[in-house]
Amino acid sequence: MDEKVRLAVVGCGAVAAGHYLPSIAASRLVEATLLVDRDEARARALATRYEVPATSGDASAVAAHAEAAVLALPNHLHAPVAIDLLRQGIHVLVEKPMAISTTECDAMIEAAEASGAVLALGLQFRSFDSTALVAGWLASGLLGPLRRFELRLGVISRWQFASDFVLHRETAGGGVLTDYGSHVLDLLLHWLGDWHELTYRDDACGGVESDCELELTMASGLGGFVEISRSRNLANTCLFEGETGTLEVGIWDPDPPLIVRIGGEQLRLDGRARRGKSPGLTFNGAFLRSIDDFARVIRQGGEPVVSGQEGRRGVALIEACYAARQALQLPWSIPQRAQREVGTS
Amino acid sequence: MTVETAREALAGRRVMVTGAAGFIGGRLVERLRLEIGAEVRVLVRGVASASRLARFPVDFVRGDVTDPAALAAAVRDCDVVFHCAYGTSGSQRHRAWVNREGTRRLLEAAARAKVGRVVHLSTLMVYGKTPDGDLTEEAPRRRFGNAYSDSKLEAEEIALACSRAGRVPVTVLQPTAVHGPWGGVWTETVLRSLRSGRAILIENGEGIANHIYVDDLVTAMLLAAVVEGAVGEAFLASAAEPVTWRQMYGRFERMLGPPARTVSLTEAEARAYWKECQARRPWLLGELASLVKKDRAVRDRLFETRELRALRELASGVLPEAWQQRIKSRLSSHEVPATSGEGELPVLPLPPSMINFFRARTRVRIDKARRVLGFEPAWDFERSMEITEQWARWAGFLS
Repeated sequence: MDEKVRLAVVGCGAVAAGHYLPSIAASRLVEATLLVDRDEARARALATRYEVPATSGDASAVAAHAEAAVLALPNHLHAPVAIDLLRQGIHVLVEKPMAISTTECDAMIEAAEASGAVLALGLQFRSFDSTALVAGWLASGLLGPLRRFELRLGVISRWQFASDFVLHRETAGGGVLTDYGSHVLDLLLHWLGDWHELTYRDDACGGVESDCELELTMASGLGGFVEISRSRNLANTCLFEGETGTLEVGIWDPDPPLIVRIGGEQLRLDGRARRGKSPGLTFNGAFLRSIDDFARVIRQGGEPVVSGQEGRRGVALIEACYAARQALQLPWSIPQRAQREVGTS
Repeated sequence: MTVETAREALAGRRVMVTGAAGFIGGRLVERLRLEIGAEVRVLVRGVASASRLARFPVDFVRGDVTDPAALAAAVRDCDVVFHCAYGTSGSQRHRAWVNREGTRRLLEAAARAKVGRVVHLSTLMVYGKTPDGDLTEEAPRRRFGNAYSDSKLEAEEIALACSRAGRVPVTVLQPTAVHGPWGGVWTETVLRSLRSGRAILIENGEGIANHIYVDDLVTAMLLAAVVEGAVGEAFLASAAEPVTWRQMYGRFERMLGPPARTVSLTEAEARAYWKECQARRPWLLGELASLVKKDRAVRDRLFETRELRALRELASGVLPEAWQQRIKSRLSSHEVPATSGEGELPVLPLPPSMINFFRARTRVRIDKARRVLGFEPAWDFERSMEITEQWARWAGFLS
């Protein structure tokens, strides 16, 4: 059995405390050896809870304590900290989004290639059993030639952020498109390949968007619609329509419902996407899978489930959306407009 | 004073809003940014609830209205403060304390920072159980009997006393039932409850629903922030014309479509139905408790159903604490409302205090707001509900 990977967790906010640290504690392939946070008291409290031997207020301490690091930092710090660590030969797993621009992604990939360190992405939806199942079914031609897809993800978050970085474009890179969109756009690219054209609308008014809509045409010519929200609870499904049937999969639930309809209602499968008789996956189970995958690649080589190149692909799509941004029309937002529109309806 | 001159007076001014993550405060921030171009600062308790505010370039201060340090940071260099926050979490006792003490501490901070005007958002409920007929600001303030209303009454008294003592200029607004996009009790909660059951309309819903569309209330708040003669005064804020509860619930019912979502009962029938539901509880409680105790997954699953969420929210909005605690304990055990015939939604029992509320024929007058503030409601009921319906469809309440 390989020696456990000695791992630093850089950034001890909500995702580290709620997901990474419990998952690392459950892993047989890694051990946390250092916690880093600007608020070192917070790092110390978590270190006590998870029996991590060292803490620091600065990521420069990583090389002395660990061979790999999980970056769970505010988005704008992903690239500079990752590049610094990768150049030292430290393997890096970056929480999504990979960075806030493709320029930063390129520099991260270049740093990893130069040192030979592993660069992997924390896009946990990829670890869901449903993701592989959907990919397989789409590839099998079960639905016939695809005609359209519709993806709706809306969750009113109760996330206990330790800092307010998500409220500002400079530190978050964007709003819900960058946040939830990192996951679902990565899924679409994984399932359907590269994109070709897009139309994008969101509700930002000088800040970061809370709701957005995207009409997306893939390189294959397949078109679809994506709606993402953190102000509304939506269906949280992705629906694929093919010539012979439809496939609907839950996309927020790690143990999601799946509905397949073939030939009208002649064949209907309605259940959960699981591996064999395994119990349903939890979010922390998905984090554990991505951590273990990271550790395997470090010890045994190969490509991580989500590589730097794939992470960059998602960031490029998000970047293209913001570049093409139009205002989302919400008639109730501006009183005069709302009155006019209702008055003429 | 007109709305246009109020807009001009607030353009470029530094304005702080408490309760900005909520319904009325959130809409106020939207209009301060979209229409007026004010420099907006908000006091928010958590980051997650601020996602809609983050659409704008506003200055965030984290903390709550009982935290003196956060309040001092929030009001620094502000010309106007809008106090929309109220206690929304914890026990009813704690919420009442937040209403009273949060108001007191905010006003102290505003006085120290020499804020030019505080607009304190109060409520019609400070008049207690109102008699039929016209209601003006001359009516006596009375305790209603629940923690929310009574603590809002105390907060209003604190605010007006502070203003009259010359510590900080305060204007108080007393809105009626506020509805509109993102609306809480009188929009989202009504829609959720009508999705899960039939609402009882007392005496065919002929009681008077004094209501105001959120944009009209925000307009009144903007005026209250700048009109000189408004200092130390309280103003009722309501639509130009009230509607009946039948009209209001009927409009929401039309949005949702069939089956029927309201039922008319006499006062006596509604009281009897409430008693019947109360009497049925122990049996249901026993049945469900045994199921729930066996399986936590079942409990969690049931507890998160849309219907039970709606009932929980409805209860926290309007019921006394003792009832809430009782209902909470029963919801934990998954009691469900009585069902009716096949294809019909269950009838939602109405507590006796709410029976009185829906029966009343009080007519709120806004003459003082018109005369002193220059306030004139711009939205009639039907147009305001049309725009609310558009929003409700987009927000997923009608699907």
